[in-house]
Amino acid sequence: MSVNYATAAVDKASVMRGLVSKIRVPLGSEIYNRLLETLYDEAAALDERRFDDWIVMLAEDLTYTAPVRVTRNGPNKDRDVMRTMMHFDDNYASILMRTGRLAKSAWAEDPPSRTRRFVTNVRMAECETAGEYEVVSYLYVERSRLDNPENETTSCERRDIWRLADGGYRLSRREIIVDQSTLGMSNFAIFL
Amino acid sequence: MLQKATFTLADGATLDDLVIRDTNEVSLRVMNDHELYKLEMERIFAKTWLLLGHDTEIPKAGDFIVRDMGEDQVIVTRDRNNEIHVNLNVCPHRGMKVCTAETGNAQAHRCIYHGWAFRPDGSFIGAPVEKEKMHGNQREKSELGLKKARVRLYGGLIFATWNINGPSFDDFLGDMKFYLDQLFCRTDSGLEMLGPPQRFVLPCNWKIPGEQSGSDGFHTLTLHRSLMEGGIMGGTAESIYDNAPGMYGVDVSVPQGHSLRCLEAAQTFKMFADVSFEGKTTEERLNLLPPPGVTKDLIPQLFKNLSKEQVEQLATIPPQVGGMFPNILLAFIFAPRTDGGSSGALALHTYVPKGPDKVEFVNFIFAEKDAPEQVKRDMLQNAIQQTGTSGIIEQDDADTWPQIMRNSRGAISKTMTLKYQALHGHERPDNWYGEGLLYPGFTKDDTQWNWWLAYYDLMAEA
Repeated sequence: MSVNYATAAVDKASVMRGLVSKIRVPLGSEIYNRLLETLYDEAAALDERRFDDWIVMLAEDLTYTAPVRVTRNGPNKDRDVMRTMMHFDDNYASILMRTGRLAKSAWAEDPPSRTRRFVTNVRMAECETAGEYEVVSYLYVERSRLDNPENETTSCERRDIWRLADGGYRLSRREIIVDQSTLGMSNFAIFL
Repeated sequence: MLQKATFTLADGATLDDLVIRDTNEVSLRVMNDHELYKLEMERIFAKTWLLLGHDTEIPKAGDFIVRDMGEDQVIVTRDRNNEIHVNLNVCPHRGMKVCTAETGNAQAHRCIYHGWAFRPDGSFIGAPVEKEKMHGNQREKSELGLKKARVRLYGGLIFATWNINGPSFDDFLGDMKFYLDQLFCRTDSGLEMLGPPQRFVLPCNWKIPGEQSGSDGFHTLTLHRSLMEGGIMGGTAESIYDNAPGMYGVDVSVPQGHSLRCLEAAQTFKMFADVSFEGKTTEERLNLLPPPGVTKDLIPQLFKNLSKEQVEQLATIPPQVGGMFPNILLAFIFAPRTDGGSSGALALHTYVPKGPDKVEFVNFIFAEKDAPEQVKRDMLQNAIQQTGTSGIIEQDDADTWPQIMRNSRGAISKTMTLKYQALHGHERPDNWYGEGLLYPGFTKDDTQWNWWLAYYDLMAEA
């Protein structure tokens, strides 16, 4: 895989960079459109709480992580993605555990939140492995909880690898780069 | 004997109206009261010992982290003599934050506003344009350092207080030290914090998670029902009320408000595999089921660092969850994995007040420093999946607490009381290991009530 997610950067943190591969998938190309459609379908599945439909979109070698961000200054000011600690640290099996829980007594989402996932600024490139694509997107989530008229929100960048398999794309890697060092959302009982 | 409370709120309410000691009740209004909050900042958060972090976060000279003591922000530093200091992050010149980063390394902290500079120990270096003496003529440089808190390390944990001449840290721990040593002081190299803390803010008063961390075992049965459904607490979802082995044990607390739930290893072991502890020695039991976070290689170190009674307890009925007054939760738990990986999860939280209606949940995740890298990796993952931001256990807490606070605002609702009336009463089990107030059997309200009594004691002191 051509994407380097090294964790051993200076000070165990890394400078945030979106796309790594130089072989861009141009906007409007067939592959770009299909992958963008996949991101929209995924957002709809999660907003509509169709977790079975979402699981089908995941590859079994999935890694799903969200490193913490910290506020830094001086020479390290851009090394603010701390991969030694994460908000999500999941794989395919643990995602199944989470969705399984959501189907039973998960009071954090029962009653469920009403969510809107806005996916924008989507950029894509080809990985070295044929049929794998690096897909970077911005995600903005509005989450309405109970009768609270003020939504909780979060913004992040998602660095994905999607793989073509069985006529569709499967998510094989997602790293969620949140923007807040102190999250304003009460929990991540929703997926990003 | 009941003592007189020393404050009266604007509407005439006294501490005795809020913490009702005759009936073991607490007025719901305490969960969102602006006047009371101000008093809490002065009488609790500016007075007692508070947890800020761990010395493994700042291993090198000049390393620093910025943390909060109530609403007072502090810089925690390590100086060239390897000493750890806690200094108020307020420039004595014009009140700006001296340090604007959350973590880093600096031999001098220079305020960006007018350039006053300070050493890691907080002492004042000087202001720019030395010849013009921009720190003035009225105060010596020695008077212009950052305000310093009193610091104490315990098992690498960094505690500090503004109460310079107040109770010692040992007095603060009291009889709890015997039990806490089993978690924090059991191995040669001690614990390591695996990364910077998870931080997130909840719309709720700090006392809602605070009193829960006074070892509310009971809520596990219902709020964390999904653990029963997953088989993690023993029994099944259908049988939870008849058969919930995780609810039984010995709850320990002290008048200082700290508490721990000690749960039988034999019961815990039954939940994982059907092997009996019957007739096994301490060492054999430890090897069959090491306490959460301890690997088999580290077992000899337990005997070295702890007393015979402490090791015996760890092997038989280890402390697993609890808290320290005022705002610390401890979770040293078994988090069984299906892939054969290490099953421990070690987390500490602080619930930092950010106003009467806001709290910052800070989640510190640990492993034993000398554990193999793969064990640390597994334990990090366990703790992230069970606790904090996305943890399947604490998601449910984070959604519940704000609803309690919203209820505390209604003219009628705020007159309701929280009930701590399912009391067992202190009872020392036979052959018990340490001191403290002991509550064997099904987990009850005693330890949480003791948390409120500790709250009462501090709030009653002007």
